Amino acid sequence: MLSKRELARYERQILIPGWSKSGQEKLKKAKVLVAGAGGLGSAILTYLAVAGVGRIRIIDGDKVELSNLNRQVLHSDKDIGRNKIDSAKEKLEALNPHISVEAIKATIDENNVFDLVADYLIVDAMDNLPARLLLNRVAVKKSLPLFHGAVYGFEGRATTIVPGKTACLRCLYQGVIPGKTPVVGVTPAIIGCIQATEVLKYILGTGELLTDRLLIYDGLSMKFSEVRLKKDPNCCECK
Amino acid sequence: MDVTIKISSLFRKFTNGQDFVKVTGNNTIECLHELESRFPKMKRWLYDKQGNLRPQIWFFVNGQKISADELTKPLNDGDELFFVLAISGG
Repeated sequence: MLSKRELARYERQILIPGWSKSGQEKLKKAKVLVAGAGGLGSAILTYLAVAGVGRIRIIDGDKVELSNLNRQVLHSDKDIGRNKIDSAKEKLEALNPHISVEAIKATIDENNVFDLVADYLIVDAMDNLPARLLLNRVAVKKSLPLFHGAVYGFEGRATTIVPGKTACLRCLYQGVIPGKTPVVGVTPAIIGCIQATEVLKYILGTGELLTDRLLIYDGLSMKFSEVRLKKDPNCCECK
Repeated sequence: MDVTIKISSLFRKFTNGQDFVKVTGNNTIECLHELESRFPKMKRWLYDKQGNLRPQIWFFVNGQKISADELTKPLNDGDELFFVLAISGG
């Protein structure tokens, strides 16, 4: 049940056709895991929190460093040296006191990933492929949706994976560009907002998801394009 | 076959900023060979040290992802080929 204060807080989005109070209740009951509290995670977490997603679980094992601050806007100078999850939880609870934020300091590996995910919707805000593929494995095994985003420089990509229906991450990825990723903060902000939009639509059951579609954002030419994905019949994860 | 290759942003530095390059080839591999012959600096990103096409490159024909075993599948006149590098920054 939404309180008067919550109804007032969410008034403008409840006005959106197809949203209504019942949609807001769905958000309040929803459980979303955001894996990574970095560049993508900052945007995703911020907008899921202010939209009123009731239970948010953050997983990150890193501490805030100075070189994070060009893009990871949940953290600031005074947070350098703190756990990212603590910094993120503090900011999110200040943004919206009506939600529950659970912060878990952990590096995702094959031993802990199933327990960390539990039955939460999965948002992939990681910065490395092995962890992304572990999340994908859990998504496939537990039939949980996975909201994927990735960035490099001025370019970003996003897709939504619904196991059993769409291609999975393993259908796509056979490796990535090695080395340190160049990135400007606006790119994960844009892609993270797209991922958050997908999560909200999925929970509300509205709109058209980025399923079997890869959205490609090219910030240099300021163009969005889209390509179609398909399951790999030989995929070792989802075939 | 006359094929247009759409150049993704990460490769545009090798094509002097061109978004599209027209090539001739019967399949994706042939089209790629023509492209790299015109812009040889691209090769380092396309192939590993053993000369194998990197599996981190995703190919799309007319907006549809194709698999590795479709790289030699015949293309049609007017097809659009697009390829991107897999990225993982967050």
